[in-house]
Amino acid sequence: MTGVMARVGRITINTLVVVGGMTTLLGRILRSLFPLRCDARETWRAFYKVGVKSFPIVILTALFTGAIMVIQSGHYVHKTGATSLLGWAAGFAVFAEIGPILIGLMFSGRVGANNTAELGTMVVTEQVDALRSLAINPTAYLVAPRFLAMTVMLFLLTAMGDLFALFGGAVTAKFMLDVPVWIFLQQVMDAQLLDEYLLGLVKGTVFGMSIAVVSCYYGLTAQGGATGVGRAVNASVVAAAIGIFVTDFVVALMWGIL
Amino acid sequence: MIEARHLSASFEGVSVLDDVNIRVRKGTIVGIVGVGGVGKSVLLKLFCGLMTPEEGQVMVDDVDIASLDFDGLGSLRQRFGMLFQNYALFDFMTVGENVAFPLEQTGDCPPEEIQARVSERLVDVGLAGSEMLYPRELSGGMKKRVSMARATIANARILLYDDPSAGLDPVTSSKIFSLIERLHDPNGVSVVVSHDIDRMIGVCHEWILLHQGRVWFVGGLEAVKMSSDPVVATFFDTASQGGGV
Repeated sequence: MTGVMARVGRITINTLVVVGGMTTLLGRILRSLFPLRCDARETWRAFYKVGVKSFPIVILTALFTGAIMVIQSGHYVHKTGATSLLGWAAGFAVFAEIGPILIGLMFSGRVGANNTAELGTMVVTEQVDALRSLAINPTAYLVAPRFLAMTVMLFLLTAMGDLFALFGGAVTAKFMLDVPVWIFLQQVMDAQLLDEYLLGLVKGTVFGMSIAVVSCYYGLTAQGGATGVGRAVNASVVAAAIGIFVTDFVVALMWGIL
Repeated sequence: MIEARHLSASFEGVSVLDDVNIRVRKGTIVGIVGVGGVGKSVLLKLFCGLMTPEEGQVMVDDVDIASLDFDGLGSLRQRFGMLFQNYALFDFMTVGENVAFPLEQTGDCPPEEIQARVSERLVDVGLAGSEMLYPRELSGGMKKRVSMARATIANARILLYDDPSAGLDPVTSSKIFSLIERLHDPNGVSVVVSHDIDRMIGVCHEWILLHQGRVWFVGGLEAVKMSSDPVVATFFDTASQGGGV
């Protein structure tokens, strides 16, 4: 019994340490951003790496997301003959939920994991200490540009990804259900899904912030050489995925209230 | 200029430094020696505020660095140049960008002058024309020399060298130690942590031997030679490859 209690206590303390560390890091990031004190070259590099290089994989994910939504709903559409609802169903699911979540998870796996590995390697090879020894604040120099890039770029990637998902859905509807592309798109327009689209963008932005804080935190706290970096990446990917679902729940709840 | 008062530090409950008292006077090149894991690198990091001691104080120019806020510590660190044991080169920057980095960050040096000083310093460390290479394209010894160039380019008054000759061939090691001597500011201090006793002999004015987490011996080369302490004698005789001190 004592052993169980000790374990519960240890897990609770470790969780609080991590949450506290992330909150402190977020505070430091915000302090670096207001007023903006980011290094221009490092910020540009982060935007390029996070946004431009993630574009192909995000678009691919989005195309298949739209296609899968149409395939899944196609069965019921055939059964009921309710082809007029196809665009609404696919658009609603993609904009409000599936699009941002899948794009966020893909982004977290690609960008978040890479970010943790990069920062973790910098920590264990003393590069972060070198920055500090040169009187440079690692949060302002390394973390704030990444936070900015991940937040802005996941917003933009979600905005574009949603549209590509619709395109993927429209093409699939044409070839699998014989619904013309323009009719599918017209159905999406008629469904007036602007609210859902905006909700998805808000989610994308919050996911970007969450992935940035989580991945930077685990990177900066990595220790113990290459094995330690591996452990940090693993923890970061799991925590980022949990963060996506938790923030998704919170944003959906708040959106409903507001 | 740098003073450690009753410094103690530990990692995960294991004591590394215990009640260390050191005074590094202006104008000296100090060699810190001791067996591996005795806390030499930790001591250097404590000196420039990269680590916080569990107990004790580090005074730099009579200022307790623990009393400084973030900005104060930042401006104090501009007096330091540090060569790290693992090179610590920024792997997303070229050699030229790495070496230029400290100068660029000060913001008071025009780009042409930065360029000229980078080229000059790379010549000093025997890496002329390597500006466009990335650290991943360099050998361990070359990385160490680039790191040396970066640590010294801003002409900091306090230079800390953590194992400057590790992994280098004897010829390059000699060049590095000559450079340490040449770049030493008579109004500043240089602290060298190394196992390369033979090359340190010609460069260091004062020696500090760390043993079992404490300062075991402090003194000049003559005092080392005359010491009857078995720890001092054994360490220097064993560590010196050139037939003893």
